[in-house]
Amino acid sequence: MNSSLKKSLESAFKEVHLNFPEKDRLIINVKKDQAMSILKFLKEKGYEHLALVSCIDWIEEKEFELVYVLSSYLQNDSEYTEKEKANIILKTIVPRDNPRFFTTIPIFQNSEPYEREIHELYGIHFEGHPRQIPLFLERDYKIPPFRKDFDTRQYVKQVFDNIPSVEDRAGEK
Amino acid sequence: MRELELYFGPQHLGMVGNFSITLKVEGDRIVKATSNPGYLHRGFEKLMELRKWIQNFPMVCRINVVEPDSMEMVYSMAVEKLAGIEVPERAHYIRSIYLELARVGSHLFGLWAYANMLGFDTVAQWAMYHRDLILDLFEELTGGRVYHIYIWPGGVRRDFPEGFSDRIVNTLHSIGGCVPDYDAVFFNNRIFCQRAKGIGTVKREEAKEMGATGQVLRATGMKYDIRKVEPYAAYDKVPWEVPTREDGDAYSRIWVVRDEMIESVHMIFKLLDNMPEGETYNRVPNPFKWNIPKGEAYVRCESSRGELGLYLVSNGEDKPYRVHFRTPSYPHGLTVLEKALEDASIADVGNIMISLYVVAPEIDR
Repeated sequence: MNSSLKKSLESAFKEVHLNFPEKDRLIINVKKDQAMSILKFLKEKGYEHLALVSCIDWIEEKEFELVYVLSSYLQNDSEYTEKEKANIILKTIVPRDNPRFFTTIPIFQNSEPYEREIHELYGIHFEGHPRQIPLFLERDYKIPPFRKDFDTRQYVKQVFDNIPSVEDRAGEK
Repeated sequence: MRELELYFGPQHLGMVGNFSITLKVEGDRIVKATSNPGYLHRGFEKLMELRKWIQNFPMVCRINVVEPDSMEMVYSMAVEKLAGIEVPERAHYIRSIYLELARVGSHLFGLWAYANMLGFDTVAQWAMYHRDLILDLFEELTGGRVYHIYIWPGGVRRDFPEGFSDRIVNTLHSIGGCVPDYDAVFFNNRIFCQRAKGIGTVKREEAKEMGATGQVLRATGMKYDIRKVEPYAAYDKVPWEVPTREDGDAYSRIWVVRDEMIESVHMIFKLLDNMPEGETYNRVPNPFKWNIPKGEAYVRCESSRGELGLYLVSNGEDKPYRVHFRTPSYPHGLTVLEKALEDASIADVGNIMISLYVVAPEIDR
């Protein structure tokens, strides 16, 4: 899988950084505007299973890293080849001060809830997403809660310390 | 006809778990369904960033209430990969046996939910009782019935106690002896057949488009199982088959579950026969002073619901930098379910949802 895919990726796209941390893992680092065409290219090459869309907040570098994990489906367990066993991790960088990216729903239908989740928890806007409404949360937070500058402990203190305890209320009577 | 909006769950007789679906109905046909998760969102992935590597185990196993064991496994696998820890051979076998026991237990629980929802109360009680027998085994091995925290980075917490293998075999034989009863009362029952055949059909191409894994995909004839694609623990040490069906409806999915339980039991017998002697645990550094080298890992294993993945990032400190679980119910509950419910009848909502094996805590995390 490694050499043939590497060759075709390098000939089709410029400025793509590939590295192989292990035998059946491939990490591709790409620029924001190339990500969509590479995802489409990989899908056509047979990596049609989008397992996960994730996001990392690198607060010191002032950027978000979007991570797409791809692998391929196959029908028969006797035919598993090196290509099929591979996981491809595609990564792209979105600046923290302008967190915008494009939706990948036209390529992978199941990225819809993942992008909704990332929009809610990290505040990244996905252009073209049809339903960017909250998925899990009930309240509106000033800082999206999964960002590194959202302090969970301080938030809990702020919210719950203002509610009087049962003992205090008993003393009032 | 007039269109109505109907709320199905979180408090509803047909709903298992804290989940809700908003249905747009015309008469009793569903025009559009919208999944509403979030009733169990505990923010575990964020909380894990504040705790040390080992301290995360109590949260990891609570992500999926029904089957906590593959969660432990996937987290241990990721930590082992990042820290470069080897696992002894015997621990690999014990992990596989333990995970297959958990799979049987989880499928019996799923069977309870499904049979109960269709009104097969007797079968539901049997399944619950048989699951309890497996929980007894877990209690003896780990001290806990539901949450075990038995798999650790570096191996398993303790070896099998004296005579434990025989007790596994005895328990599984007594459960396996009831398979003809289950078949007669439930799986070959005409009522089950009529309720489940052709219901919630997901075609193979659609399932692949929507990122389905596990029984949902195997019920469409795809032999896609992470235990075969990317063998972990001791799954490549013994021969076994991936059961599949062709039709992709609720009936096929439940039959795949049944066949998988039987296959798991046979696998446990083979693993017990081949289990080597030796250590079960490689020591790891002091957990409170344990810094894991900078890096990232994506690991995956097959839980009883499908592909369970974990994307784990370390920045070289004593706590994880980012944890993201890829749970199988996530695409099943949010993408496949909405599609499968279209044009179904209101009476089949629970039927379709449980046959897709959706577990709400796994979606919310």
